[in-house]
Parts: sequence; structure tokens; C-alpha cells
Amino acid sequence: MRRAAWVCAVAVLLAGCGVGPSGVLDGGPAPTGVAPGVTLYFLDADQRLQPQQRATDRLGTVSSGVSLLLTGPGPGSGLHTQIAPVATTRVEVTTAPGLLRLVVPLAASDVGPSGVDQIVCTALGVHVQGGGDRGTRVQIRFTLPAPGSDEPRTCPLTG
Amino acid sequence: MRRWWPGGLRARLLVAFVLVTVLGAAAAAWSSAGSAGRALVAAAERGVAEAVTGRIGAVAAELTHPPDQDALDRLRAAVGPGALATYGDLRSAAGTGTDLVTDALRSAVRTGDRLVTQRVAARDGVWLLVGTPIAVTAPDGARTPSGIEVYVARDLADVERQVDGLTAGAAGTAALALPPAVLLALAAARGVLRPVRELRDTARRLAAGDLGARTPPRGADELTELTATVNEMAGSLQASMAALQRMRADARRFAADVSHELRTPLSTLTAVVEVLAAATADVADADARESAQLAIAETQRLVELVEDLMEVSRLDAGTASLHLEDVDAAAAVRDCLRARGWLDRVELLAPDGVGLRVDRRRLDVVVANLVGNALQHGGPPVRVLVGALDDRVRIEVVDGGPGVPQHVRAHVFDRFAKGDPARTRTPGSGLGLAIARENARLHGGDIAVADPTAAGGEGARFVLLLPREQEDR
Repeated sequence: MRRAAWVCAVAVLLAGCGVGPSGVLDGGPAPTGVAPGVTLYFLDADQRLQPQQRATDRLGTVSSGVSLLLTGPGPGSGLHTQIAPVATTRVEVTTAPGLLRLVVPLAASDVGPSGVDQIVCTALGVHVQGGGDRGTRVQIRFTLPAPGSDEPRTCPLTG
Repeated sequence: MRRWWPGGLRARLLVAFVLVTVLGAAAAAWSSAGSAGRALVAAAERGVAEAVTGRIGAVAAELTHPPDQDALDRLRAAVGPGALATYGDLRSAAGTGTDLVTDALRSAVRTGDRLVTQRVAARDGVWLLVGTPIAVTAPDGARTPSGIEVYVARDLADVERQVDGLTAGAAGTAALALPPAVLLALAAARGVLRPVRELRDTARRLAAGDLGARTPPRGADELTELTATVNEMAGSLQASMAALQRMRADARRFAADVSHELRTPLSTLTAVVEVLAAATADVADADARESAQLAIAETQRLVELVEDLMEVSRLDAGTASLHLEDVDAAAAVRDCLRARGWLDRVELLAPDGVGLRVDRRRLDVVVANLVGNALQHGGPPVRVLVGALDDRVRIEVVDGGPGVPQHVRAHVFDRFAKGDPARTRTPGSGLGLAIARENARLHGGDIAVADPTAAGGEGARFVLLLPREQEDR
């Protein structure tokens, strides 16, 4: 009886050492970021934001998404944009915690009030699809800023 | 069941101390090493999972969806060696260790939307498996499975080595506790065992007769109490032994004094009685003559008794002296018989040339006593046989009388022992056999009653054994 207790104690001691196999354990949320295309936001006849899927085969970056937005909705879609056409569509994106900073090649006067929402929603959409936080805000820097144009904003559709 | 623990108190204390100490140290070291090991493993797993998530997240945005073979291969390359990416029936090239992926892990990946891990034992050690689906997130945050699964296998040999190192360190720490435990146990055993040993030695000396033996009590524990009790016991034993001794000495001195005091009046009485005997020899009155002879006989008995008493007193007091000389046994016995006129009544079977060194007078007393008893109480034929053993001489006195009854044999050598309780008035002092045995013992020999010569318990046989050589005393 007593010997059995000793054997048990020693077995427990030995079993506690080293690395053993385990069952299936949870390791956190799955990664994300794949998508068949990017979602851009344009305006319909009632000046309401409407998503438009672009089959780019991949999600791409926030920068490429916003650049694509600047090229316009394309003909035949029935949607329009409040962003003036530009020669270059290069957009710089820097991220800070809870904040996306976009530097767009536009003056504040080139963009209507709903145009700002178009940019914010498109940028946020790509950010969220890529695994980013939905509460992130977007700050737009224009080449010629207007008062209050670089306030951090959220998309009226999602947030 | 066989006793498998050691018997000695010291060994038991030692084993108990060492077991307790080492077990305690081992338990403490093991538990800390165990938790540190678990933390190490958990950290390693978290690190691998985060790296996998990070690498997939970094390339996911640039992956075509739905993926083709090329995209899966790029994904696999981005995650690193030991990875496998699948999409439906499409599979990327398999990395090292991905064949270890279990069905449980695969089904958890397929049905869930979380990254899962599992440790599995492989031939060369423990491997960590990470499996994860890649989710498609809508712009509003809703997640759906994309069908792409990524499996990664990582060898945990490094972590295992670290944990083994921790365990070895714990074992070493526990082993460090061993020498102090042994020293402590020895010290404790010493403290307990020294008084016990002293007590044992004292008890041995007491048992051997040294009643003055004591153990000085030290300290104030239970063993000290025991020591004090043993000392008290020895003290009272010594006191009562001393009282007993004193009483015996007093009694002996009294007997010696009495017999000594009686000697002078007795010699006067003897002389007077002899005169009386001479005076009544010619008296015609037979009654007066008989009375006078009775008085002479009784007086002689009294003298003998007093002399025997004095001899016993001397033997008791240890003042009896031995005058050793070389004697021929046969001649000495023959002289003894001849002096008493017994030669014609006693058959002597003695080879010549059996020499021994004794006090001739005392040998004479012993033989005369034995033969006298045989003639008086036993019956014919009375025989004396002398024989030589290796280093002793055997003198045997045998008679054809009724023999010594079994129940009396143990007491025949006692003082004033009577062979027949009914026979109270017999010639002789009742000290004869006692004196004979004391004399034999004075020589380093002894007298015993042997088994009867004849069947049926007839015939007494007294055997006197004396050593041939006497060591000087």
C-alpha cells in the first residue's frame, strides 16, 4: 500500500517533467485579408453612398483601393463621384494606433462633403477587410487643406 | 512480509531525514521547474502562432482569391518552412513535418474560424502543429471562411532542451539538500543515541553485578528522566543488596562467635566428662555407668558440631587456607580408610600412580565424610573408585543402600540437611556434606550425586572431581 503511494508520487514527478503531446488548443482568431476584389464607394442619384465591387482578384492595400476610387466609377454603372478627376492617383497611407492617415493628391476644394465620406468608407473598408479594427478613424490630408478638413472621421455606413 | 526498512535507530533517523528533506526539496524544485517549463512551452507556442498569423496577414491582401496553385505556393513560401496551404483540392508543396497533422486538428480548422494548435509526439521529439483557416472579412466586419487552410509544423526540440535543463537544475537543487540532511540526521541521531548508549552500558554493568554503576543525567528531556529513574532503581537495588550482605555477614559472624565461645567451656566439659567416665568405670550401678557414657558421647558430638561450625565459618569467611602438596590419590584414600579402620569394610579400586596436587587434610575430610555416610546411611558393599580423567581425578563412592531419593538430591549438600526427615537424631553434625563440598570447591573441584548404580534407584553414588593441578592462589 505504502509502496504503491511512493510509486504514484514518483510517476507524477516524472510525468511533470518535459514537454508532452496535447489536445487541440485554441490559438486566437484566424488571420484574414483575402478577398476576390476591393469595395469602392460612389454616390447614386440621391447622393447616397453605394458600394461597388471591383474584381481585382485580390484585396490589395488601402492606398491602391483609394487610388482606384480616385479613377471614378467608370461608365455604365449609374453611379457618380464627388471627387474631382486628378492626373495622379498616388495616395500615401500611414497607420497609427486607431488612425489611418491618408495623403491624397487633391485640394480640399476638389472634394465635396460626400466625396470625403467616399474616401473614408473605401479606406476603412479595405482596412477592415485586411483584418483591421472597425473602430479605426481616418484622417485625410489635402494638398490645400480647408479648416477642419483633417479631422479624424468614420464612415457613416459602417460606423 | 520481509522488513525492508533498516533496523538501527541511527539508520532509521538517517533515512527519514534524508527522505523528508529530499522529497521536500524535490517537490519545491519540481513544481517551480514545472511551471517555468509550462510557461516556456506556452510562450513558444504563442510565438509560433503569432508569427504564422502575422506572416499570413502580411501577404493575404496580395493573394488572388480564389487562389490558384501559384498563390498557394506563394502563401506557403511566405509562412516559411514546414508549412502547407490547401484550398479545396488544391495543395501547395508540403513542408517538413506537415505529414504529422492530425485529423482532429484538420477538422478543428475546417469547422472553426479560429487558429488552433496541438503538440504531437513524433519519432524525433515533440512537434507543435498550427492550423488555421483564412477568413474573408466583409467591409462591415462579418467574417466568412475563405476555404484556404494553412498548416505549420515546428520542432519543439529547443524548448524541450530548455525544459530538460530546468528539470536537471531542479534535480541538482534537490540533490544539494542531501548532504546537509545527512549531517543533520547524524547530529540528531548522535544527540538521541549517546544517552541511550550510556544507559545501555550502565544497565550492562548493573547486570554484571557492578551495583555502583550510574549514568550522569544530562539535559531535561525524556531520556534524562529515564536515566534518573534507572539511577534510582540502581540505588535502591544497591541499598537492599548491601543490607542483605550485612545481615548475612552478621549471621555468619554470630555463628563463628558462638562456636568460638563454646569451645573453651566445651574442652573443660570434655575433660570433666572424661574424669567422670574414669570414675564411673568401676561403679557397679549400670544406670550410672550408662549415663556417664551417654554424657561422653553427647559431649563428643557437641565438640564435633562446634568444630564443624568453626570450619564452616572459616570457609564462609574465606579464611580457610590450602596446604597443597603432591599426593598419590590411591595412597591418600587408603590412608584415610586405614586411619579410620574401614579397610576391611570398604572395597578400594584405585590404580596406583594417579597423582594430584591437593591439601591432604581436606581430601581426607572429604573422603572420610563420603565413605562414612555410605557406611552409616547406605549399605554394603561400599566401594571407592579412583579414576584419572584428562586434567581431573575422579573419586567415586558407591554403596549398595537404598540410594538418595530424587527429591532430596538437590538438597543433600545444604547445611543441616537430613537424608531422612523422620530420622532426627543421628550421629554427625549435618554439616558434613556441606563442608565436603566447600572443600572440593576450594580446590576448584566439586561433588555431585550421580545416578544410582543399580536399576530401581538402589545405591547412592557420590562423585568427587578434583583438578590435578592447582593454580597458585
